[in-house]
Amino acid sequence: MITLTLRTAPDGRVDMTGVLPETLAGRAASDITAQFLRVDGNPVALGDLFEVAPGEGDVLVIRTDCDRLDCLGKGMTAGTLRVEGLAGHYVGQDLRGGKLEIQGDAGDYVANGMKGGLLRIHGNAGDWLGAALVGDRTGMAGGVVAVDGDAGDRLGDRMRRGLILVRGKAGDACGARLLAGTIVVAGGCGGLSGFGLRRGSLILGRMPESIPATFNDAGVVELSYLGLLHRHAESILPGVFPPVSSARRYMGDLAFGGKGEILVLV
Amino acid sequence: MIINGVLIDDTYAEAFGMKATRIVITADSMTWAKHAANAAFGFATSVIACGCEAGIERELSSEETPDGRPGVAGLLFAVSTKELAKQLERRVGQCVLTCPTTAVFAGCDGEESLPLGKNLRYFGDGWQMSKVIAGRRYWRIPVMDGEFLAEESTGLLRSVGGGNFLVLARSRGKALAACEAAVAAIARVPGAIAPFPGGVARSGSKIGSKYKALPASTNEAFCPTLRGVAKSELGPEVEAVLEIVIDAVTDASMRVAMKAGLDAVCAIGAAGGIVRLSAGNYGGRLGQFHYRLREILA
Repeated sequence: MITLTLRTAPDGRVDMTGVLPETLAGRAASDITAQFLRVDGNPVALGDLFEVAPGEGDVLVIRTDCDRLDCLGKGMTAGTLRVEGLAGHYVGQDLRGGKLEIQGDAGDYVANGMKGGLLRIHGNAGDWLGAALVGDRTGMAGGVVAVDGDAGDRLGDRMRRGLILVRGKAGDACGARLLAGTIVVAGGCGGLSGFGLRRGSLILGRMPESIPATFNDAGVVELSYLGLLHRHAESILPGVFPPVSSARRYMGDLAFGGKGEILVLV
Repeated sequence: MIINGVLIDDTYAEAFGMKATRIVITADSMTWAKHAANAAFGFATSVIACGCEAGIERELSSEETPDGRPGVAGLLFAVSTKELAKQLERRVGQCVLTCPTTAVFAGCDGEESLPLGKNLRYFGDGWQMSKVIAGRRYWRIPVMDGEFLAEESTGLLRSVGGGNFLVLARSRGKALAACEAAVAAIARVPGAIAPFPGGVARSGSKIGSKYKALPASTNEAFCPTLRGVAKSELGPEVEAVLEIVIDAVTDASMRVAMKAGLDAVCAIGAAGGIVRLSAGNYGGRLGQFHYRLREILA
């Protein structure tokens, strides 16, 4: 296990790109400390920011008490990266595999471009979780994100594939413009839920504040798919998805093809 | 070799390499899962005219199934991948999709896969939805009781079909009672089925016929009514012969199933009216797998 401990809170935002279990494994401490990171775009040696405890194995632990470390786990393909503390923005960007665990809160744009692996956030997540960056056609395209706390606005905006589990509640426009994939929010969400939803499933533990008028109520239906998803969700975030077999189904967004659904568990 | 008064013929069962798959059918209750399974695996006793051989491998509790409902695991065997795929799709499409509350899942993984819900999804007429969960794709097909959930594909297994043994008894009733015990023992073996009705066949066949159109015909050497007019394998004390045919996913599971069945018959023994145990083969020329009865029982 390799451990990086943040010495003091940096003045600017730190781009943690390249600090991954797969890139640090087997390297000497001097080699790791000499690696350059960018703080507000300026190069800084990793050793100036972190105390380094090298080790063997594919587990990397980053200890931090500030939320200025961005791009944690960016492009990771294997191993385990555990952040003991807060995380900044763009956590799990382009994540391909392995396990990324944030024990505190995470900032905005978590899991954008993610295509595989497991991203576990014990605290809250900011806005645009699993969403597309400005200029990107699609958001998250695979893997699983599990959030113990709440998520911000625009959760899963233009998400393409994968599964997002949120134990708390989500903000406004949850699942907006969703292309495919599954979002589960146990605590419900704000207004404009599923606006522009094309395909995919937005599954809510309680009724959202509002559902766009372009969704039609299909009534309460029994779906064996829920049992399958319950089993899977229990293995990732126990308790987030109750063992129910029925849900109220809203089909929509009819202004965008109407092939998607909002399921409110009953 | 004589076990418990039963003569074990020095012969072997000749079995063939087959293609197989396992599927899991679930439903709201075991009753409905078995309705679907019995329909899907019905008329699947022999590849000679059924296209495949199939049967329920075992019942599954709700803890053992992907969707947390009771279900059954079933095995299907065919002579080719193409025929197996055709039979699987037809049977699931006509017997599982149609059955209330059911869902169907892959019961095995293999290097190759067979379509399960992959083509059945088109029954949804555009309303079907795809879901990928834990790397496996499922299809949700709208039907009148909600949705039919079908995994996209299931695995292809290289397996063994046609393992068999013959129970020669002093009466039909005694032969049947011994076979029932054998079938119950085989049912407890994972990865094996006895595809005939109740697991027992009375129409042991030989290859070919005097009629050119028939690929198989009655095996007169084991028909008690033909003693004296045809070359017979039966002694005067034998009144009836029944056969148990076994299909298994591996050579090892076939051996375990054969032994379980043979042991069950031997346990009944001569006191229960069993005279001999024999097996069907074709001189060893056709099948890749030979199961010598005396080796299995040794």
